[in-house]
Amino acid sequence: MTVAIEDYGLLGDTRTAALVGSDGSVDWMCVPRFDGPPVFGRLVGCAAAGRFRLAPRRPAQMTRRGYRGDSATLETTWHTDSGRLVLTEGMVAEVAGRLLPATMLVRRLSAPDGPVEAVVDFDPRLGDRRRRPRVEHRDSALVCRWSRLAVALRTSHDVSIQPGRPSVVTVTPDRPFTCVMSVADREPLVYVDAQAAWDSLQDDERRWQAWCEGIDRCLPYREAVVRSLLTLRLLTYSPSGAPVAAPTTSLPEVLGGVRNWDYRYAWPRDASIGIDAFLGVGKQDEARAFLAWLLSATRLDRPRLPVLLTLYGKRPTPERGLTGWPGYAASTPVRWGNAAADQHQLDGYGWVLDAAWRLSDAGHRLYGETWRTMAGFADQVAARWREPDAGIWEVRSDNTHHVHSKLMAWLALDRALRISGHHRTPARRARRWATERAALRVEIERRGFDEVRGTYTRSYGSPDTDAALLVLPLLGFHPPDSPRVRGTIDAVIRELDAGGPLLYRYPPRHDGLPGIEGAFLPCSFWLVQALARSGRSTEGDALFRDLLSLGSPLGLYAEELDPATSRHLGNFPQALTHAALVQAALALRAAREEPHAEPASRPALHAEGAA
Amino acid sequence: MTGAGLDWAGWAVFGLLATAVLTGVMISAQLAGLSRLDLPLILGTVVTPDPDRARAAGSVIHLVLGQGFALGYAATFALLDQATWWLGGLLGLLHGAVALAVLVPMLVGVHPRMATERAGPGSTAVLEPPGLLALNYGTQTPLVALTAHVAYGTALGLLLGAR
Repeated sequence: MTVAIEDYGLLGDTRTAALVGSDGSVDWMCVPRFDGPPVFGRLVGCAAAGRFRLAPRRPAQMTRRGYRGDSATLETTWHTDSGRLVLTEGMVAEVAGRLLPATMLVRRLSAPDGPVEAVVDFDPRLGDRRRRPRVEHRDSALVCRWSRLAVALRTSHDVSIQPGRPSVVTVTPDRPFTCVMSVADREPLVYVDAQAAWDSLQDDERRWQAWCEGIDRCLPYREAVVRSLLTLRLLTYSPSGAPVAAPTTSLPEVLGGVRNWDYRYAWPRDASIGIDAFLGVGKQDEARAFLAWLLSATRLDRPRLPVLLTLYGKRPTPERGLTGWPGYAASTPVRWGNAAADQHQLDGYGWVLDAAWRLSDAGHRLYGETWRTMAGFADQVAARWREPDAGIWEVRSDNTHHVHSKLMAWLALDRALRISGHHRTPARRARRWATERAALRVEIERRGFDEVRGTYTRSYGSPDTDAALLVLPLLGFHPPDSPRVRGTIDAVIRELDAGGPLLYRYPPRHDGLPGIEGAFLPCSFWLVQALARSGRSTEGDALFRDLLSLGSPLGLYAEELDPATSRHLGNFPQALTHAALVQAALALRAAREEPHAEPASRPALHAEGAA
Repeated sequence: MTGAGLDWAGWAVFGLLATAVLTGVMISAQLAGLSRLDLPLILGTVVTPDPDRARAAGSVIHLVLGQGFALGYAATFALLDQATWWLGGLLGLLHGAVALAVLVPMLVGVHPRMATERAGPGSTAVLEPPGLLALNYGTQTPLVALTAHVAYGTALGLLLGAR
């Protein structure tokens, strides 16, 4: 039986991540990085792709599951005939300066009420060919090897474990059973004693809790916001600072459908939204790290802004479907790589320049190189905004003139002009940006607005609307309470309603792919933000509470949700959704504190039309 | 180059020139979008986090290091009693291979602002680690670095041999 997407918990060390089901099975884990080959791939590759399960031997009821406080350590409790069995697990994130493996998964079973039999099913398979390892037993460790990669499993009990053959272990109150899985990629394995690994995990837990304590205590819906920030941080690749969109590939946007994409890459758009989210809660280092990644990763493509990049700023490998992988709930193909990398998406520049402006506005003076890069992006927008683009939704059909993209192009030029007010910029360059910004406004208002319906449209002359337009009140393009903003928000609510707090991102079936995808969760959080910024925070507040009730039991969100069943759809957990959740909470806070203090509503420098 | 010993004057002048050639090749490769390996930035961020200041400081450090390596080349030419473009090129190839396989990866252990592949959430380092053969800076980085070092060695061999 397929485990529901929302039943998975996220374990992570900020270099890679694992998804563990409520049945105690790690069904997804790539090594040594988020974008590496899976060593457990059952999530989309069936039993032949491997798993690592620790669970009660006999049928048992799961009675409790949650992260331990504000940490990344997950605890699952089952009720068995002979008492409770508790699985506590996590990955050790902080290994620098110590002789610990770069990837270490620690899992401990304890039985506080009396002896309980548990099953250990350790079955690693590597990569797209789901290769079985060469196996050997060495120094009380099970070692699995595939040429350059090796995985070792050490346990606290003397139990014989063979890959693919479930073993039984009896856990007693005085003797928890601890498993330590360490990974070595092109380096020697480090064998870690079970107790030392457990101590490291607990140290990590305290570090995560300390990290969370630094988050504003007065934030509305703080628990959900903190879980989202933790998730965002767990999905940030620490060695380069790259924000991974999601740790999975090909979790379907339609069950049994073909909308299955590889999200184990970093989108500059996500980094920009992440900057805003982390800045808003006072996590300056994380915000600056995203900007540093943006600068470094985009270097080979400047002044063009790539749509997505690998963790180290390279182009992804060409997209391909995996042969023989059955997919999640028979959703095929299972894809590796992402062809959206080749698209031209104009909106990306707006997100990035807005993030730079927010950092600058928060008092972080941009380095000369940073500003030159941003100015180069603005030049690119000024030169290319008249071209059609693929748009934020990466629809794989012909490019068109997306109104959201044009608005974000306007934003890019507007923010560049704002930053230029206090960073050295040639006057002629600034005049060009001002001229193009003014031209953009004229074109957007003339060709992107439907006077009859009173709303901006998905593309020029289109009868459709687009939930991405919900960013409108945040841009400063119109006052947040203007009729055009109100009309667009109302049109999105009216025309893209998916029931309850849910929205489709564009009208269903309007993307050339078979099937109707789920409601797009970030759009619902953008609606909260839009309502809060346009003086309708009471509505936004109610919507936000409804959305919180739709989160997974662990407070995680996928990209989409099936409006009929409330099942999560798409890659999981999704950084964009969690960043949008944080932004929505921040907007609600801003609306409560100072209803008219939105930074985007400040007057822009270089009055438009003053070319 | 004569068999009389090490050519100090040639080393002093041509070491700088050869380093300039190497830097030129690396910068050209960056501009052409082939590699993100930026030696002045990497070296300069040891002393300052500002990329512009770092590049200035790093360029000086790079010149000094280039001059130091040129001493090794000049000494080798003196020992072998010949300085030719092809011998310089071979030494450059060896130099580039050692730099990629040993020196650049070693930076993560000593550079205060360079993250390691093991960096965790507590890391405040902002420079990404170069990885094996500096491949994290672009798949063509090894080729670029080897070409730059071969150019460096060839330039030294040519210039010192011409004396």
